[in-house]
Amino acid sequence: MKRMIKSNNPYRKILFGKEYETAQLRAAVVLLIPSFLAILVLFILPVVQVVLYSFTNYNLTTGVKDFNGLTNYKFILTDNQFHKALRNTFVFATGKLVIDTSLALIIALMLDARVPFKRYLRGAFFAPVVVPVVASSLIWIWFYDPGIGPFNQILEALSLPKSQWLYHENTALLSILIFSIWKGIGYNIILFLAGLQNIPDSYIQAAEVDGATGWQVLFKIKLPLLRPIISFVVMIGIINTFKVFAEINVMTPKGGPLYSTALMVVYIYEQAFTKGKMGRACAAAIALFIIIFILTMIQNKLDTKKSISLE
Amino acid sequence: MKKVIAVFLVLLIITGIVFAKGAAETTTRPEVVKLQVWYALSGTSGESFKSKAEAFDIARPDIELELTYSGKYADTATKVSAALLSGDAPDVAVMAAGQLYTGGRGDFSMEEFAKDPEFNISDVYPGMLEYGKFDGRLAAVPFGISTQVLYYNKTICNAAGIDLEKNPPKTWEELLTLAKIAVEKGNINKSSDFYGFDTSDGVWLIKSMFSQNGNPVVKKAGDTVVPVFNEASGVEVATFWKKMIDSGIMPAGQHNNAEKKFLAGNLAIIAASSNRISRWQGNTSFELGAIPMPKFSQNALALGGNVMVILSEDQFKKEAGWELVKHMLKEENQTDFALSTGYLPIRKSSQQNPKVQELFISNPLYKIAFEQLDYTWAYLHFSEMGTMDAMFWYALDEIEKAVLSPKAALDKAAASLIKEME
Amino acid sequence: MKKKLHKVNKPVLLVLLLGSLLMIFPFVWVVLSSFKTVADVYAYPPKWLPSSWKFSNYATVFEMIPFARYYVNSIYTSVMQTALQLGISVTAAYALVVLDFPGKKILFSVVRSTMFVPTIVILIPMYLMVSKVHLIDTYAGIILPQIFTAFTIFLLVSFFRSIPHDLYDSAKLDGCGYYRILSHVVIPNASSAISTAMLFSFLGHWKSYTWPLIVTNKQQYRTLPIGMKYLVQESSSEYQVMMAASVMAILPVLIVFMIFEKQLVKSITLTGLKA
Repeated sequence: MKRMIKSNNPYRKILFGKEYETAQLRAAVVLLIPSFLAILVLFILPVVQVVLYSFTNYNLTTGVKDFNGLTNYKFILTDNQFHKALRNTFVFATGKLVIDTSLALIIALMLDARVPFKRYLRGAFFAPVVVPVVASSLIWIWFYDPGIGPFNQILEALSLPKSQWLYHENTALLSILIFSIWKGIGYNIILFLAGLQNIPDSYIQAAEVDGATGWQVLFKIKLPLLRPIISFVVMIGIINTFKVFAEINVMTPKGGPLYSTALMVVYIYEQAFTKGKMGRACAAAIALFIIIFILTMIQNKLDTKKSISLE
Repeated sequence: MKKVIAVFLVLLIITGIVFAKGAAETTTRPEVVKLQVWYALSGTSGESFKSKAEAFDIARPDIELELTYSGKYADTATKVSAALLSGDAPDVAVMAAGQLYTGGRGDFSMEEFAKDPEFNISDVYPGMLEYGKFDGRLAAVPFGISTQVLYYNKTICNAAGIDLEKNPPKTWEELLTLAKIAVEKGNINKSSDFYGFDTSDGVWLIKSMFSQNGNPVVKKAGDTVVPVFNEASGVEVATFWKKMIDSGIMPAGQHNNAEKKFLAGNLAIIAASSNRISRWQGNTSFELGAIPMPKFSQNALALGGNVMVILSEDQFKKEAGWELVKHMLKEENQTDFALSTGYLPIRKSSQQNPKVQELFISNPLYKIAFEQLDYTWAYLHFSEMGTMDAMFWYALDEIEKAVLSPKAALDKAAASLIKEME
Repeated sequence: MKKKLHKVNKPVLLVLLLGSLLMIFPFVWVVLSSFKTVADVYAYPPKWLPSSWKFSNYATVFEMIPFARYYVNSIYTSVMQTALQLGISVTAAYALVVLDFPGKKILFSVVRSTMFVPTIVILIPMYLMVSKVHLIDTYAGIILPQIFTAFTIFLLVSFFRSIPHDLYDSAKLDGCGYYRILSHVVIPNASSAISTAMLFSFLGHWKSYTWPLIVTNKQQYRTLPIGMKYLVQESSSEYQVMMAASVMAILPVLIVFMIFEKQLVKSITLTGLKA
């Protein structure tokens, strides 16, 4: 673009060394005002406040709010429970991310195959996504009941050992993980399905004519073309895993047996609402925020290879 | 570009104006004082409270009540803390005892109100009054007070050949023995998940047990509060607790599930709130029985339940709120509330109430809770009492799962508590 | 080229059917339980079928809590949130895709980073803000803070990107301003995408729990998820009533999904999903 367009041309304007169409600029301002306002009020302002509070001893009970420097940060960095919450979060997040993505992909591939009843099957796999978390958590507490719940009943019928599920530190986090996967996998399946159906039949048929086996079609055509979706799913996955809260709060209050189901979000909630230590909760929240940020940055960097697109 | 900046500045100014606060003040009592009342009572308790409050509303045309059920104790506490911050707090609340009431914010006006002769403070059981105090001073009024009671499944006990009504366990050791027999012989469902004793609230129970062993849990030392639960008397209690797990009568870490187990007929004896009487009676698939709680070396029972707090800062609303409190705590009202719910009457004069006498005869289960009134007790309420409860929860978990020895667990809890108080 | 269904992949079908059973059996359990009696619920060993079919459980739900009111509240707030959210997302996505302006990349990153903020973190500051403008216990207070989700914007961005440029160019040649391009070119061509976004958005708002919980104190403003939680507390030994309430809460969303499901899968084109 030539930079020689004079500034008295009403149809173009130069800003920050680049040339823009005035009409576009005007439209952009108007169209973006609602979003801009929303981001400012709903995100930037609260986050700024959280940052500020994290340097105070803000206490919800007494209303005290005095600056106390890095005390909160020092506390959480030396707090055993914070470390446990951090560890639990990573274990949980890794498990959920890996299973959510790979299992969803496998199921989507299967759903894309030559099978009947597709409508029912898709509906069945997506149904748990639709259910409100609180309702389904309450139901699953019942399922997981060691004495009268159906899960143990089934295990017993299959002559397998019964489990303590939510009540034992070795199985509690796993129980929550299973529930979380059940609840969320439908989302990923639908996304992958859509991506698979986007691949023109012609590609696959051409490959088959050339003598490619099913596996080769899978690895050389389908998966590469799915790359953008896979990375989208992973990115959304990272963000969502760190937000898991409601089900943990309902199924294992107080952080679960030996604090094994306390994730970062649970720790934050506890500090803020059980102990009233809002300042500290904010410091932990900032820590969480930084972690998520770093992770998505890493994911972004790893994703630099250009995807093969259909265009 | 300039336009963009201009628009942005205008928005910023608007946002600023919108957040500016304006306060209005009045100096004369308005004709009708409106009170926001939140209550953390559900089921029968909620209905009983609501009907009495509505009666008050009708009888007092100069006071108007807006009643809202605000959820369980924990949810109500969260909401009230948030509301206090934003100035939207209710004027009166019926909520669990905790650091949230007025004492925690330095407002002890309840002390003055309680001097009202109509309130008749000397008629209230002293232990109950302690429950409404914060840092030793009256900050709330006890309302829905309960202690734990020992419920048992008569069907299981009959099958095991033990009669708890004739030979109730007087001490915890005796309870242990009886529970063992129940486990061995009372598994009528042939369940693999069958136990002799459990409690739905371990933290509550262990506080009672501390007191029964002469340990006041915390005590005041000058300006601060120090934990004493990790002294020898406290460690004894924790060691016994572990014994209950090791002997197989109580499952580890399953207190949240205890009530379900009991209702399903897989638990012989349970220590649960007295207010379960109204919920469980007639609704169990087995015959329900109740006996008083056993003791360690002396009789004592920690109080639980809710209190009435006046949160408003407006003078007229405070006075109106006090009128409501007085009404709810009138002997006939409070006794009626207690009788219909399984909560305890807080006034000594209730013993003379003919309804009470009648009920004892027709429903012996209620009598149990009443019999325990004389040795009700509340530990010193202080700013970190909520945190302390959480610490106890973790400590019990660690003791039951043998992660830490009883002494180590209590020491750890004490150290964490001290750290939190800094 | 037509696909010939000459051979059904039997093993895959079997696995899928089994899998689908795993996914839906909780629903089956819930529906069956909603007709049980109290004794059935606590029976040991656990019973699958009710001993007698108590349809009255459904009526009991309405007696225990103002279920109808909560339902209406949920519908109203979800619809409003979805509508407003769509307004914001469509305009934002359009601007990000079609218009050229300085700071575009920065805006993209800012929008993306809003996804990192878990609700719980900004709960208290949001609450304080909302109360300062006296929107606690109001529909506006429930609706307004939830109208921005980056996910919807990104979804629409990827759709808008797939609209061929010639359509814009010919519209411009016809003398359309950028607003008309939005209303006459983009929206008609992305209608299935927009309805998909609408569906996901509605779903999310129907389930939303944390924010409405903290911003409503009064009963008449509560939404369904919160009402359900209170139902549990009320009826902790009346589990079957809670199951009935769950069925009523889940059913409409399930039906809506079944209707739109085919469209959903067809219309998600994912070119350029990487923002």
